[in-house]
Amino acid sequence: MNSSRLRLLFFIACLLLLPAGEALAELVVVVNARSGVAVMTRNEIINIFFGRYRQFFNGVEAQPVDLVDSHADRARFYSALVGKDLSDVNAYWSRQVFSGRMQPPPRVANPDEVMKWVSAHPGGIGFVDLAKADARVRVVYEFKP
Amino acid sequence: MTRQRADILLRQAAGSFFAIAILLVQLLVAPQVAANEESAFSLHGFGTLGLARTTGNQAEFVRDLSQPRGATDHWDARVDSVLGLQANWQLTPQLEAVIQATSRYRYDRTFTPEISWAFLKYDPNPQLSLRAGRLGTEFFMLADSRLVGYSYLPVRPPGDFFWYLPFYAIDGADLAVTVPVGEDVLRGKVYYGVSDANIPLADKQWKIDGSAMAGGYLDYQAGAWLFRLSYANIRFSHEMPIDDVLAAYLPPAQAAQASQYLTTANTRSHYYSLGAIYDSGPWLFQLMLNKIKQGSNIFQSSEGGYVLAGYRIAQVTPYLGYSWIHSDSRGNTLNPVVASIMADSHADQNTTILGARWDFAHNMAIKAQWDAIRGEPASIFPYRQERAAWTGKTDVFSVTMDFVF
Repeated sequence: MNSSRLRLLFFIACLLLLPAGEALAELVVVVNARSGVAVMTRNEIINIFFGRYRQFFNGVEAQPVDLVDSHADRARFYSALVGKDLSDVNAYWSRQVFSGRMQPPPRVANPDEVMKWVSAHPGGIGFVDLAKADARVRVVYEFKP
Repeated sequence: MTRQRADILLRQAAGSFFAIAILLVQLLVAPQVAANEESAFSLHGFGTLGLARTTGNQAEFVRDLSQPRGATDHWDARVDSVLGLQANWQLTPQLEAVIQATSRYRYDRTFTPEISWAFLKYDPNPQLSLRAGRLGTEFFMLADSRLVGYSYLPVRPPGDFFWYLPFYAIDGADLAVTVPVGEDVLRGKVYYGVSDANIPLADKQWKIDGSAMAGGYLDYQAGAWLFRLSYANIRFSHEMPIDDVLAAYLPPAQAAQASQYLTTANTRSHYYSLGAIYDSGPWLFQLMLNKIKQGSNIFQSSEGGYVLAGYRIAQVTPYLGYSWIHSDSRGNTLNPVVASIMADSHADQNTTILGARWDFAHNMAIKAQWDAIRGEPASIFPYRQERAAWTGKTDVFSVTMDFVF
């Protein structure tokens, strides 16, 4: 195999992979690195974000953080997690709030704020792009694109 | 007399207890609140602007028994319109104060605002939740969010299922326990309290304030499925205002006997229900069944239920439902006057529901719905001002705009 053919193959591979990598930046669920949680199931994450049960398996109380509606990652997250539109999620929370059962997770403006929240709360849990996740947090769930 | 006075004293005591509790909590946690970076106070609201009409004027259609007049063949805004405001104050991470006021067409034919909830909620850990004050009742699943149109799919909770439920709040306490079962969640709740309400009855009102309510339920959440078993009862504290009707049509001795026979004070009604909800992706499916055992001869025990299915397509969710209610007439009616009073609580009908919800803007939805009610002419219980020509069949058309903020 000569070098020009290799270059061509590499070029094609880049063409195929790059746009995919950009368009489908992988959304992951992260927890505080010191929470002692290493991996979670989808149902455990649903239970925490929908307020059904806000505790990790090891007894640490979960403190979820959400994004504002105007940030596109919020719609991506709920679509990937439960296949629901944001208006369904908001309707769910209006039932919980106005029946006096519970409050939704606090909402922050952007993924940097999510990272700040998760690293500042022992039971912090949020969702960000994989590229955003640094040593302050631990990735416990990946949504396969 | 003594009973009434005891009720008043009890309520005053509960009121002052609540005020003192809030004051104490304020004093205790004030420094913490100031130090808390997260917003401790929030104000939210919900509302519905609704229009409903039927295809006839032989009976007036109401949302539930708390409404004295209803819709006929003219568009009527009273049936579904409501406005609610709610303030939440997170005093500590475990303690929250909630107060909600609502305005809707009510028993006295006004939209006078009421304090629907006012309670303190204490969640010492993720397993336990305690509330005390004025609370929403959950005699049936979803019953404590019946007024929040934005939170559910159809225009209003199916009447055949919810008509017998004019109770919205108790002054009391509840306790909920949540236990994980693998990835599933089991939740149980018990509550006790006294009612603070009136039910309209022709041109009069039946006081149910002071009536003791107690109940509980078990929820099992497994993925997209939620199942509930529930039980509740109410012990009515007052008589229905029917004595002057009896006196007008019956000789005194018979009137007294009839009054005794139709007594409601100190009778107990029992509410049993079973519900299943499947909520996943674009699909929503609900099945609810209930059985109501009435202690007083003036009411008929009943069985009802509904199924509802919806499928979201982009911003529009069409839905289809079917509901039913059948009540059992009692055999012994003493005399024709008593029989006609007892026949007032007869219900025997089913309803086909067809509609669509359009989430046209952020936190706003428009709904349009057709209810095809097919019942027996004797099915007059859920209606107001029914006339002799009533056939038991009518169609209800409704349009609403729901919002939350």
